[in-house]
Amino acid sequence: MTETADIAIVGAGAAGLAFAFAVAEPGLKVVVLEAGGFVDQRQAPSLSADWELALQGAFNANPNIRKAPADYPVDDSQSAIRPAIFSAVGGSTIRWGAHFPRMRPSDFRRRSLDNVAADWPLSYGDLEPWYDLNDRMMGVSGLAGDPANPPRTERPCPPLPMCPATERLAAGFDRLGWHWWPSDAAILSRARDDRAGCNNCGPCGVGCPRHARASADIAYLDAARAKGVQLRANAVVTGLSFSSGGHAVTGLRYVDRHGSQQLSCGAVVLAGNALGNARLLGGALDHPRFGRGLMLHPTAIVTGIFDDALQSWRGPFAASIVSQEFCETDPARGFTGGFQLQALRGQGPLTTALGGYGLRLPWGEAHAAAFEDRFGRTLSLTVTCDDLPEEANRIALHDTDRDRHGLHVPRMIYRTGENSQRMLDFGIDRAREALHAAGARRIDVNPLTRNAGFHLMGTARMSADATQGVTDPYGRVYGIDCLSIVDASVFVTAAAVNPTPTLQAIALRAGDAMRKGRAQDKIPA
Amino acid sequence: MSNPLTLLLDTLLPGDAARWPAAGAQGLAPRMQDQARDLPGGNAALRAVLDHLPDDFAARDQMAREAVLRGIETALPHAFDTVVTAAYNAYYTDPAIRDVVAARTGFANHPPQPQGFELPPFDAARLAQVRARPPLWRPER
Ligand SMILES: Cc1cc2nc3c(=O)[nH]c(=O)nc-3n(C[C@H](O)[C@H](O)[C@H](O)COP(=O)(O)OP(=O)(O)OC[C@H]3O[C@@H](n4cnc5c(N)ncnc54)[C@H](O)[C@@H]3O)c2cc1C
Ligand code: SF4
Repeated sequence: MTETADIAIVGAGAAGLAFAFAVAEPGLKVVVLEAGGFVDQRQAPSLSADWELALQGAFNANPNIRKAPADYPVDDSQSAIRPAIFSAVGGSTIRWGAHFPRMRPSDFRRRSLDNVAADWPLSYGDLEPWYDLNDRMMGVSGLAGDPANPPRTERPCPPLPMCPATERLAAGFDRLGWHWWPSDAAILSRARDDRAGCNNCGPCGVGCPRHARASADIAYLDAARAKGVQLRANAVVTGLSFSSGGHAVTGLRYVDRHGSQQLSCGAVVLAGNALGNARLLGGALDHPRFGRGLMLHPTAIVTGIFDDALQSWRGPFAASIVSQEFCETDPARGFTGGFQLQALRGQGPLTTALGGYGLRLPWGEAHAAAFEDRFGRTLSLTVTCDDLPEEANRIALHDTDRDRHGLHVPRMIYRTGENSQRMLDFGIDRAREALHAAGARRIDVNPLTRNAGFHLMGTARMSADATQGVTDPYGRVYGIDCLSIVDASVFVTAAAVNPTPTLQAIALRAGDAMRKGRAQDKIPA
Repeated sequence: MSNPLTLLLDTLLPGDAARWPAAGAQGLAPRMQDQARDLPGGNAALRAVLDHLPDDFAARDQMAREAVLRGIETALPHAFDTVVTAAYNAYYTDPAIRDVVAARTGFANHPPQPQGFELPPFDAARLAQVRARPPLWRPER
């Protein structure tokens, strides 16, 4: 007999587990299906001296290189930027840097304010309570009072500390009169419940044995399970079932270690990220906007090399300080939208030798001196650019290539748009200026980071108008009943900031609405 | 006489006489082979690069050997890149080399965890100048 559930969620990443937590209530059968398995961060590679090797193998962010059993191939041959995702319970947050900035009110109103893209069908104010809830669930360190953002509640934990490198950078920003602030970070600066506080070790990207760095599993799984949510790991969803006529989803098919399974459900919620969703939906969703308007945050990395031994390999690599001096549109700059300058600390010895964020250090006689010149003496700035939703940038499906489950291989088709390119050029110059002001002796520029396809946004954008968007403001897919999408696919614009706080706030809001709607048999308007 | 892999390593990572050991002389050839095996296409890449070494490679000095390798790098860029990665992997994960890294740079030569480092408090006084600025964000309307 076919098993039934009220709600099936595809993907146990940042969005899927937040949604599961919000939608769950006693008496409701909520099942989360996740292609990947559990990652035991208590045994993270950072407990071993050669932890850097893990970044090339099991923790490589590129699924085409990592090729773990849960991974699927992505055709990136027509993309300037390669995919960076992770398949596991916790999703890509197993691998992330935990930098946790919110979008700002103007990011939701780009059509009204700047005459580009579209306005979101919701506002910053609509998301604010969900941002706050998510901050508490994830465990965020930071400091209220940032003049670059609307006032926000006291952060659950005090900010993470500066280090000699970020001290210099902050002094440089001050010299230039530019904004900077300690990042909101999904990292506990002091212990909470069964999670220890951060001990400043550095390589958050291979997992945090202290559970100080939040990942979706650490932050949400126990709380969701306590409300009755069931998680099925190593369960790859291979297709959806539709009612006759195809206007409603009635269930899904998945493969686990026991073989092929069916689940009949009242609602299917996709949280597989834009690539995973496109791969699963295949040709089933023929909305003209589905797959189109892919936004990726094109990112340059500008690295300052300092004279002093800054020991910049200490401390969370990605969550330290950020400048939002250039986030808002200023037409005088020659582009619309803006960028953030996010500080990245230095890397371990091996990663430094392999080039870190730039070019590999030379082999041969010049190597030892080049290594000494750089190791522990670098600080980088990402120029994280807002990206406009251009129709030609998209996720499509390969005509012929299929993965081992018979699903079409997704293709990333992306080139940096003109506006983004002008922004990158301007931003690189500003990053140089900041690093000079900070006292860097030399500056290296990586003008476009190829391995930076970690923010996959906009391929199922939401709208209040079914002709303009794939989903409504709660992620419900137009034209197909009982199907929702609740991750960054639904973003209307990209903003200049990392997407996870916003996509989780959207997932929480959508989950809450579905729960209440089921209770009242309608979703609040 | 050194075997070709040891010579290759010594040419890629010759160190410097005073401080940094050469990778081959450090005995890293077996480790390098292990590392190559773990990289996609690594074994084949290493074989291809070794096959391209001339018979008199050992007889040449460092400069001449580097010139040979530059030729191979141009001819087989992908394979060569993989070999360099394997060499760096072997070198910088070797405990003795990491001792040198520590001595030369102040690197704390222990696994990042469980020890970590001190987490001092954030000094909010550092923000005085930024705090004095008016709001930098645009309201919705
Ligand atoms: C190296 C790196 C650094 C990052 N740093 C930051 C940062 O500092 N700040 C920030 O905000 N963001 C960061 N990100 C991005 C962040 O991780 C993502 O925004 C976030 O995880 C997206 O959440 P998601 O739930 O949409 O997708 P994911 O977290 O990717 O989860 C999707 C899950 O769905 C599963 N899935 C897909 N298809 C199926 C299927 N058919 N059946 C079953 N399961 C399926 C996948 O296995 C996966 O586990 C980073 C990402 C990477 C890779
Ligand atoms: S730096 Fe902090 S958050 Fe990152 S892995 Fe180490 S202890 Fe965890």
